Amino acid sequence: MLESISQSDAPAKSSLEEHRSELLNVTVISDMSEAVVTQNALPYVAGSKPRAAVSPVGPVKHDFEIKLEKFLWDLLVSMGTVRTAVILIVTTAIFVLVGAWCPQESAVGQEKIIEQFGTTTAENLIKFGVTDLFHTPLFLLDIALLSISITVASFRKVFPRLKLLKHCLPPLAEPEISRLAVHDKFLVNDFPEHALSMVASQLRKSGYSVQIENDKLVAEWGKFSRTAASVTHVGLMTLLVGVTISSWTGFSGFQPVRLGDKMSFATSDHSKLWIGELPKFELLVKSTRREDYPTGQAKQWYSDLAVIDPTGKVLATQEISVNNPLSYGGVDTYQSTWGMDQIVLSFNGQEKKLDLRPMGQRYAAFLPLDPTTILIFSIKEQDQPLRIFAKRPDWPSPRMLTQIPPGGAVKLGTVNVKYIRPVPVTGLQYKCDPGLPVTYVAFGFIMLGVSLAAFPHRKIWAATQVIQHADGASTMLAIGGVANKAKVGFERSFAKLLKSLTVQFKDVGAVAGSQVALANERSAKCAAENEHV
Amino acid sequence: MSDFQLALTNTAGVSSVMSFWVFVASNGAKQWKNRMLNVASLVMAIGFIALTVAIITRGIEAQRFPLSNLYESLLWFAWATMGGYLCLAGAYGIRQLGWLAALTAATMFLYGSWLPASQHDIAPLVPALVSYWRQIHVPPLIVSYAMFFLGGLSGMLQLWHAGRQKSLAMVALTVAMAGTAVGLGTFTTVDTIYLQALFVGGSLGGMFFAFRLLGSITPSSLNVEQKEIFDDVSYRCIAIGFPLLTIGVITGGLWANHAWGSYWSWDPKESMALVTWLSYAAYIHLRVHRELAAEKLSLVAVAGLLLTLLTYLGFNSLGFGGLHSYGKVK
Repeated sequence: MLESISQSDAPAKSSLEEHRSELLNVTVISDMSEAVVTQNALPYVAGSKPRAAVSPVGPVKHDFEIKLEKFLWDLLVSMGTVRTAVILIVTTAIFVLVGAWCPQESAVGQEKIIEQFGTTTAENLIKFGVTDLFHTPLFLLDIALLSISITVASFRKVFPRLKLLKHCLPPLAEPEISRLAVHDKFLVNDFPEHALSMVASQLRKSGYSVQIENDKLVAEWGKFSRTAASVTHVGLMTLLVGVTISSWTGFSGFQPVRLGDKMSFATSDHSKLWIGELPKFELLVKSTRREDYPTGQAKQWYSDLAVIDPTGKVLATQEISVNNPLSYGGVDTYQSTWGMDQIVLSFNGQEKKLDLRPMGQRYAAFLPLDPTTILIFSIKEQDQPLRIFAKRPDWPSPRMLTQIPPGGAVKLGTVNVKYIRPVPVTGLQYKCDPGLPVTYVAFGFIMLGVSLAAFPHRKIWAATQVIQHADGASTMLAIGGVANKAKVGFERSFAKLLKSLTVQFKDVGAVAGSQVALANERSAKCAAENEHV
Repeated sequence: MSDFQLALTNTAGVSSVMSFWVFVASNGAKQWKNRMLNVASLVMAIGFIALTVAIITRGIEAQRFPLSNLYESLLWFAWATMGGYLCLAGAYGIRQLGWLAALTAATMFLYGSWLPASQHDIAPLVPALVSYWRQIHVPPLIVSYAMFFLGGLSGMLQLWHAGRQKSLAMVALTVAMAGTAVGLGTFTTVDTIYLQALFVGGSLGGMFFAFRLLGSITPSSLNVEQKEIFDDVSYRCIAIGFPLLTIGVITGGLWANHAWGSYWSWDPKESMALVTWLSYAAYIHLRVHRELAAEKLSLVAVAGLLLTLLTYLGFNSLGFGGLHSYGKVK
């Protein structure tokens, strides 16, 4: 279509012609706007000859340069076509689907992948980048192409269509109305102005904006929905800007921090920023705790944090919990996980730290006593007693020996065991995302755009014509319309409109002619199509 | 769960089954057809009201917004499917969609009733779900899934009225295979790799053959008017579901950013929601620019239904991990 328009070298269409084309041959619309842009702004168009090979003052361009320039331009133009967009959308969907199916190293680590797929398969998946798919050059290339496609389509096709909003719909005459998707005619014994005003009144009741021009009427509903594509594309392009700002200037990371330890941002992802520098302050975990439901299930995790500058000065303090982060110096710190990391015991006065492992709702540490006996230390909460078990090969299950409250001690044989304290660990997730406000604006545009797209754009035309006959004169009222979506709903509302108009015309005793029933016409059309098939 | 709430939920479940059979039986009774269709719609409306009250009662009993696990989401899904059908039937007068909507709702009730008792019980929330974002993020997603289901089912009816019976049979088989994989994944210990192969392989193969069979037309079932209506209904459902899915995905990102500091982390479920979003974005582009015929668009709508099923139930039941494990049967 693009080629045929450009080759014909037709002048840019007027807005009136654009609207007419849209009504009578709906497939033309995108090409019309395309043609306007093409004629006004672009140096070369696919399939057309370059306008000038020789600059009036510059050197002569070689054929190769002209061909290369044309090729690059054609390539860029082809990036903005619907077909390219759909191919790239589907390609992206396939990439994401594979990435969703295969656990990603960044989320679960390589161990989990090897455990799930076995060594050989896992090695192959890792080798081909499937386990880190969203960082592979191929995926990034796909996203880059999709971004180019969105940008080209936005400026070449989507935004130019906004021009149509400025123009009012052109009035149509009876022959054009008869070619619309739904239409009908009345023969009315009334003045044309009165017949049109009755139609206008009925349409206004249904929320249409109506304009009457001489013997013709134009009405629209849902014109705002025509901005949907533009608003969505603005959102998508804003999102690209936001994500770019974030990736150049932001950082993030996760760190498990033991009670009493400090966390710095030196080990964050993207620690070498393109723009800006990492903050100097650190976070000290002053206390951390877990809150349970009566059933023992975790309800909430809390960490009391202090922001410390390099000189040791406390800049801020806050207790964070899940869904309640600390924001300081452009960095947001979130409560992400929680657990018990170690227990500190003393054996006959000698202090020893044992690492804990999660075991269901509890945590356990293992201490081999001799080749056959293992001591197991089990705790659930910081303030609950430590249970001590022993396990031998000939015992079917571990046997509980004793339990010690925090700070308490017991005698196990000749050894005096003291439970000094547990060491909880809080998982802190942090991020600095300067592009976030832009991204949020983008989210707003996208949500607004796709919501607008749900509304149909309905257009109705009416025209009157005075018919002379033996008894005098009557008015022929032609009325018709189109909708870009929810067409059946529009047909139904149009039929209701006709029905109410019929009643109104009857009420004023003005009906003189026949009304062609829409349903009959439609049935005839369907029967014809069925016959044809 | 109180007896009152259980009785209301059971009423809704039985209503969906009864309305399904009345819808089916209406096709065999020409004289009584309209009356039976009215009765079936009425029964479904009663079920919808009962389910609405059941969900509200559950929220009052739990003292929280009643949408926190798989069972509760199934109730919402059935509610949105029944409500969506009743709205469409009112707007378009298409009561033939009713038996598919009733079948979908009944399947969800059955699926929900087979879940372990821990899913039915009102349990306290895990820390990650203790947030006002839960009631902002989840309902639009569940309603969008229901609208996509109705869109896909309308697409199947469009295929029927377009005389594409062979293609429709292949589509029905594909959806049945996908549903079987989800069911086996939820209630049996069959190795998930086989179920993933059944779902994905079956869907790809089934849709490929369905596209190939589009050329085969059975004139006896051709009805141009109904075909156009169901094509329009399918698009309408998707046009409503798409903004809801967008809102659900974005508010999920906002919640994740609020809770964990990252609005996107390529979690399997959120990736899958993105795949679904992209597939419907492709559908809308193809539709708006009239790149495909109505029958092909119906098949794209059914492909969307399969992706929705994979996103909603498949990822948890077919052994994919991720942050959204609250939708999983333990």
